[in-house]
Amino acid sequence: MLARSLTPVLLMLTLAAIIVACFLGSTPINLERIIAALLGQGTAGDSLIVWHIRFPRALAAFLVGAALGANGAALQGLLRNPLAEPGVLGVSASASLAAACVIYFGMAATSPWILPISAIIGALIATALIAAAAVRTSSVVTLILVGVGLSSFAGAAMSLLLNISPTPFSLADMINWTLGSVANRSFDDIALAAPFLAAGFLILWMSRRGLSALTLGEEAASGLGVNLRRQRILVVLGAGLATGASVSIAGAIGFVGIVAPHIVRPFVRHDPARSLLPSALLGGIFLILADIAVRILPTQTELKLGVVAAIFGAPAFIWIAMQRRSGGT
Amino acid sequence: MKTVLAAAYICLAALPLGSCGKTAAPNTSRANQLAPSSPSRPMRVVSLDFCADQYVLKLVERGHILALSPDAGAPFSYLKDEAKGLPTVRSTAEDVMILKPDLVVRSYGGGPNAEHFFTRAGIPVLNIGWASNLEDIKRVTLEVATGLGAQDKGQSLTAEIDKRLAAIAQGLQKRKAQDINILYMTPSGTTAGSGLIQDMIEQAGLKNFETQPGWRSLPLERLAYEQPDMVAAAFFDTNSLEKDRWSAMRHPLARAQIQSRPTVALNGSWMSCGAWFALDAVEALANGVAISKASGSIH
Repeated sequence: MLARSLTPVLLMLTLAAIIVACFLGSTPINLERIIAALLGQGTAGDSLIVWHIRFPRALAAFLVGAALGANGAALQGLLRNPLAEPGVLGVSASASLAAACVIYFGMAATSPWILPISAIIGALIATALIAAAAVRTSSVVTLILVGVGLSSFAGAAMSLLLNISPTPFSLADMINWTLGSVANRSFDDIALAAPFLAAGFLILWMSRRGLSALTLGEEAASGLGVNLRRQRILVVLGAGLATGASVSIAGAIGFVGIVAPHIVRPFVRHDPARSLLPSALLGGIFLILADIAVRILPTQTELKLGVVAAIFGAPAFIWIAMQRRSGGT
Repeated sequence: MKTVLAAAYICLAALPLGSCGKTAAPNTSRANQLAPSSPSRPMRVVSLDFCADQYVLKLVERGHILALSPDAGAPFSYLKDEAKGLPTVRSTAEDVMILKPDLVVRSYGGGPNAEHFFTRAGIPVLNIGWASNLEDIKRVTLEVATGLGAQDKGQSLTAEIDKRLAAIAQGLQKRKAQDINILYMTPSGTTAGSGLIQDMIEQAGLKNFETQPGWRSLPLERLAYEQPDMVAAAFFDTNSLEKDRWSAMRHPLARAQIQSRPTVALNGSWMSCGAWFALDAVEALANGVAISKASGSIH
């Protein structure tokens, strides 16, 4: 019963979170005006604010959170490890690094597609390395360490870029790739990332049956007719596309991919296939709420979304890791 | 780590015209202590950052400049052409000390401990003061000129500032442009509601569209209801929007302002430091109003 109502409930919560996000901003607009603007009957100013400033921002937060949530669920299913997540495994950091590199070397100006494509390539390389390491070792610790190594390398390379940054402006811009934000995002940014996000989601969806079989172990999954090589390629490709596209919108945002699937898992009987969609929705809701927090916190400068997500996500990561240890797994 | 990066970002995002300078407040007492009369004029001067470079290039004889900062020839350096051929030095203590300068000039170069360190090593330091309006610029200019033993040049520079401001004011009396408001925009999506930018806008006979004090992000939501009459677009010559990936300036609503309103381009080199060349920007703003009025694009 709970499992069946989970997705509709999350869909309604998503809608509610987006509407709440449309209420918040520097200009006070009452409920009536917001609804009128959402229905296309508001004044020109209200419509501009709701449809071109607040809604794209909320949508960007949702899509990024959804991509990270679905990726977390898929990677955890593939690697059979609840700590696997694009942020922890260095996939997001690698995508950020690739994006910052093309900006630093002036390639981003040649075409608007260069940036999302480079972020996706960065994410694909990192995901492929993780998947290759997973084939070689059955040790969960080794796999996480490989991810930590990748994340550290991407962080060090990013620090190098910051170190040799030619002006304070480019320095500030590159720092943002590590902090994560959806502020000032418009439909233009979303449109550039949308095809890759859609492709990533679709590929992950196609891989769901194999993910279910993998919960029984690789040998059993193979015995059930799952082509393990194809399964790995599908998840790596899907996760790389969706993570890269989400990073091109918002930079590196961590821990969403751990928190969302972890909450969802008990409701779907720990089946990674059935956790894909609810994890995506919950990840999206989590980031919309985190972005709302960013906007209403009375700080002099708006906090960055990735910072707030990490403040909530990192303790959750530690808690999940501690639980694993006490459970002896 | 992210918190440290965030703090660095907040500081750096507002670097033009030295909004971080308040943390490195000027030490005018040092400048006064150094006020040498002509015979004790420093003969071997090193400057540690590009704001200090501008004053050194303007007020010190070329032969007395031992080294400038590596940014002296950068696109955002006002006197980059004059800096050509002069040696540069990184602002590390060791690199500077080996040159054995008579005087080190700095605004932020070398970091917060630079003055203490060089003074202990017996090298006097002249700090460039903080300017939050055009009057401050004149005061700082005189202080720095005194510290460099170039009072005459300092006085003639401030006299020139007065003369140029008077000419702008005279032009304003004819035009009466006070009701025109202007939005200051940068590729990093920053605008300013007080301080030197505000003073420059007012001296050009305009009203600042931004009413909130301090450095701020562009007021995107306000722009949905209200539009400025004009735009002052600063730093677009030295920064590209592609590099400022996170800026509010990339939003279609912000870009529409530059595309649809009379726009005055302000060179990054005029705006990078609070110094006498801010007058170039004030003149550009005043001329921009005159041209826009003459062409009928504003009334």
